[in-house]
Amino acid sequence: MSRRVLSLLFLCACASTVFAQDLSNIQIHGFATQGVLYSSANNFLGANTSAGSLQWTDGAVSVSDSVSDKLRVGIQLHMSQLGEFGGPSIQVDWASGDYKLNDYAGFRAGKIKTPLGLFNDSQDVDAVHLWALLPQGMYPIANRSFYLSILGGEYYGAAKLGNKGGTLVYRGYVGYRSLDINGGYQNEINSGVASLETGLGVPYTPPTSPSGGMSFGGDVRWITPLKGLLIGESTMIADLHGSQGPVTFGQPLNSIDQYYAQFEKGKFFADAEYRRQPVAFHEAAGPVFVPIPLDWRSWYLMTGYHVTEKLQLGTYYSHFVDAGGTNNTALVANYSKDWTVSARYDFNPYFYAKLEEHFVHGTDGDYYADDNPNGEKSRSNLLAAKIGFSF
Amino acid sequence: MKKSYLPALFLGLVVAASVAKAQDAVVVANSGVKATEVSSDDLRDVFTGAKSSLKDGSHVTPVTLKGGAEHEAFLKKYVGKSDSAFRAGWRSLVFTGQASMPKTFDTDAALIDYVAATPGAIGYVSAGAANDKVKTLAVK
Repeated sequence: MSRRVLSLLFLCACASTVFAQDLSNIQIHGFATQGVLYSSANNFLGANTSAGSLQWTDGAVSVSDSVSDKLRVGIQLHMSQLGEFGGPSIQVDWASGDYKLNDYAGFRAGKIKTPLGLFNDSQDVDAVHLWALLPQGMYPIANRSFYLSILGGEYYGAAKLGNKGGTLVYRGYVGYRSLDINGGYQNEINSGVASLETGLGVPYTPPTSPSGGMSFGGDVRWITPLKGLLIGESTMIADLHGSQGPVTFGQPLNSIDQYYAQFEKGKFFADAEYRRQPVAFHEAAGPVFVPIPLDWRSWYLMTGYHVTEKLQLGTYYSHFVDAGGTNNTALVANYSKDWTVSARYDFNPYFYAKLEEHFVHGTDGDYYADDNPNGEKSRSNLLAAKIGFSF
Repeated sequence: MKKSYLPALFLGLVVAASVAKAQDAVVVANSGVKATEVSSDDLRDVFTGAKSSLKDGSHVTPVTLKGGAEHEAFLKKYVGKSDSAFRAGWRSLVFTGQASMPKTFDTDAALIDYVAATPGAIGYVSAGAANDKVKTLAVK
């Protein structure tokens, strides 16, 4: 319903704009990617990767119009399929009106992307990254839509800190976010729901509509006077409420805190981030209340270098651990460590290819029980390759 | 022996001088932009999409060359990014709904014509290409 309203609003805005001015300020951009995943042992990301999987397709088209110096409207439609997640249906990635009063104060409203660290809002834009897969402990691709956007509003701006203090860029937002019924978290919730319903002696109830909750937060990043160095912090506070048949589930308002630094100098870059995400999740049915305390902690270090104008090489180490409840963080079931080496080749400004190898240790990551019915091995490698087009 | 390397040295100096000249870029803006100078921090912020005005409050919209030595030199000196990182940064803003892509031009002349005709436009061209159609801004 909300998608239809947004589309209608956008079409109205476009129509009025077209009548009011010429079309020279309208921009159309897009991208499309096709990937392949092949793993040495476990099946990753909802796909049959141990046999090789081509079920990894992304595409988007955006249209935007600068109605005036201060007002811009736009929409982006997105399709994504990764194994059993996502699907062929087209989603509204974002659709917003953007009024920039001045550098200190701008406002966006509609379906807007939310900042959380360096890459949250751009994690579904493959063309801008060296990596085929961003560090999964922090940017889990099967769950990205849960963090990616809200239906709401945002205040943003930038302020120069004196003549030599650099620039502070800030964003704050509030709105409603939805849990994708074809995403990874929903997959795990479904397992819990099925288990509770089995205990109650009732048949499994699949999700029919997305659950969701409030989300608000902000991001402050300092473009420091040291050329190329950026430092920042993001916070996202959100809850979740949902139900399937007799089972209810969710979490109260929990805070995600993320700290990051980025350094770029010519052909070289290095990034580092740390995220802590405690979640007091629960599932309940009648008198049964199942608390599921989670405490996700993740960090990574990454670096990349343009060997030539067209070839970029990079590597990262990503670390994820769930220290929730009484978890023993030394157990492979409670952590995931990923060494990754990657290469990207840009044939021209529009076409590119990526080749990447992940060396994964630990099983608290991109695995789903229904894809690995015989259990998961503690170590598995994953080869990811992609071709992409962007304009 | 002493004489043999002098022509090569001379040739090298000529080539170095011509390369240096080719890579000099000057910042130009529409004549309606009030500022007469711009700081390197302002250039970085405007050409990375962080800001859209100069210190004196002039609203500006960046435009760029598609490539070439002046383009690379400008990015290296004021933005601190390679061309691909610069393009990736703008793509990230565009595909997250935060900005429109800057217009790009194949030649200095085309960029100057656009800047001259577009209020608030700011760009750069090779030294010697700027003319009285546009305002040249000193970089402080």
